[in-house]
Amino acid sequence: MFNFFKKSQSQQSGVPKKRESLESLWRLTKILMENLEFEDVVYKTVNSLLNELGYLKSGYRIVVLSLVDEEAGGLRRIALSETEEARRATSVSTIPFERIVIPFSATQNLGIKVLMSGKPEVTTHWPDLLSPPLTAEAALTNQRSAGITTSMVYPVFARGKAIGTLIFSMVKKYQDVTEEEKDLLWGFTELIGLAVENSMLFTKLKNTSQQLTQANNKLQQLDQLKDDFVSVASHELRTPMTAIKSYAWMALNRADVDLSEKLKKYLVRVLMSTDRLINLVNDMLNISRIESGRIELLPEAVDLISLSKDIIDEVYYSKSIEKPIKFHLLEQSLPKVFADPNKLRQVFLNIVGNALKFSPPGGSIIIGFFTDGQSVETYIKDEGPGISKDDISRLFKKFGRLDNSYTATASSGGTGLGLFISKSLIDLMHGKIWAESEGVGKGATFKFSLPIATNELVEHADQYQIKPAGDIRELEPAAL
Amino acid sequence: MENNQKKILIVEDDQFLREFYQELLMQEGYLVDVASDGAEGEAKLNQGGYDLVLLDLMLPKKDGVTLLKEAKFKTPSKPIGAIVILTNLGQESLIKQCFDLGAAGYLIKSALNPDQVLAEIKSYFKNK
Repeated sequence: MFNFFKKSQSQQSGVPKKRESLESLWRLTKILMENLEFEDVVYKTVNSLLNELGYLKSGYRIVVLSLVDEEAGGLRRIALSETEEARRATSVSTIPFERIVIPFSATQNLGIKVLMSGKPEVTTHWPDLLSPPLTAEAALTNQRSAGITTSMVYPVFARGKAIGTLIFSMVKKYQDVTEEEKDLLWGFTELIGLAVENSMLFTKLKNTSQQLTQANNKLQQLDQLKDDFVSVASHELRTPMTAIKSYAWMALNRADVDLSEKLKKYLVRVLMSTDRLINLVNDMLNISRIESGRIELLPEAVDLISLSKDIIDEVYYSKSIEKPIKFHLLEQSLPKVFADPNKLRQVFLNIVGNALKFSPPGGSIIIGFFTDGQSVETYIKDEGPGISKDDISRLFKKFGRLDNSYTATASSGGTGLGLFISKSLIDLMHGKIWAESEGVGKGATFKFSLPIATNELVEHADQYQIKPAGDIRELEPAAL
Repeated sequence: MENNQKKILIVEDDQFLREFYQELLMQEGYLVDVASDGAEGEAKLNQGGYDLVLLDLMLPKKDGVTLLKEAKFKTPSKPIGAIVILTNLGQESLIKQCFDLGAAGYLIKSALNPDQVLAEIKSYFKNK
């Protein structure tokens, strides 16, 4: 390539100029490529030709970039070169440069004409460029002040579509413009089209990204506010709820008159509903803590058999008095699992509580285990109404209570949040939780698996702890 | 009744709950004194002479954790028995802090039925 150029240079007189044009274009490409910001690109567009490429020496004085502004319904002036002539023109202009918009309807205006035809035009008469919105007189004043003889208008394309114009104003006549200059101006405007389009896309993307960041920050603040609100509201709610519960209990158990059966029933329902409300508030607080990372997890080796016995005792004495249920714990020798005992207890209570809730009177609940040497699977099998295949996927979602179990909840204190919380906790403990059912009417089995507490896990238990992120607020309501 | 000799202080700002626990404990035969904010609680704790104190944590004027902290380092005119927290607050770290400061128990009001609260109170006297 190099040799070819050298050879050509010595043999043909037209080629060196062609080569100069190519080199100029290449330099322009470089200048424009260095900038991605729209503001920078348009600044370079109107100045680089005159300064870096030395076109001032060839009689060029002002370069103006205009772009289609659909909203304004016209061709808007965007950038103007920083030359003495440009400054003189703007200083006398009746309309500030950046507010000049040529309406699309002004088809006699050369800017609009070029935009429509896609072909360059030449004029020695600035009203062709500026009217409307300027009057012919005002346009001529601008031209005289700048001392411009000729202006050439070129269309700027991007992806085959005219997006604006470039005006090159000179202090020489059109006859004195060489073919090489014209070639370069064509090449230049093509380049500008791409650069402007790219920079517009880039700047738009950047703005969008900034807006997204802002929106995201705003969302995070709102989320924080929500957590704070849940935290404060749950405490504020709990005080009156405790009072209702306490006085209803007092009325039921310590009344100084004999209560009718009806009155007793009403009071029992007040108590149950209050418990349900308290559970709901607790669950919402739990979820808020899990979702905002303000939960603490301290895993250790946990014996599932003794935990199961505790749970059965607790549930048996508190709930099954209302409903006769038989518990069967299938004891076997079992490795300990690696879990936070309090959180595991919460999960266990939730699942056993559900099983009890949906078991028919006199039904059985079986708690059993299975281990593959890596993890221990605990299963809780009930003789309740079972779950359809479609519903199984909804079980562990927030408020994923199923329609056919709705009626049971009024008396059971269900919130529709328990399994969601259980799943969140088991996930945090690197376990799995799922449900199986042969179908409606065939009972359900809930299973969760947890990793076996190997010596290595227990020794490095501190590495698996989850501490609340951010500030721990000192006074937080109890989440139970 | 053996409870006759036992004197309990309830520090609780909510009037209904304060009066509820007062009535509940009096029915059981305890002698009951009350304080409705942190300042009143502080004065009565300084005076001393209680077998058991039921202390709420969120209190106007002076919060329960501060009262607990101060009680640990002060010598009241008359001795104080166990201080049991009775609250609706319950971050794990807070519970731990209260036990570290010498609380004998931590009861969460909304989670317990009144008879469970009574059983807990009885157990503190038994263990003594």
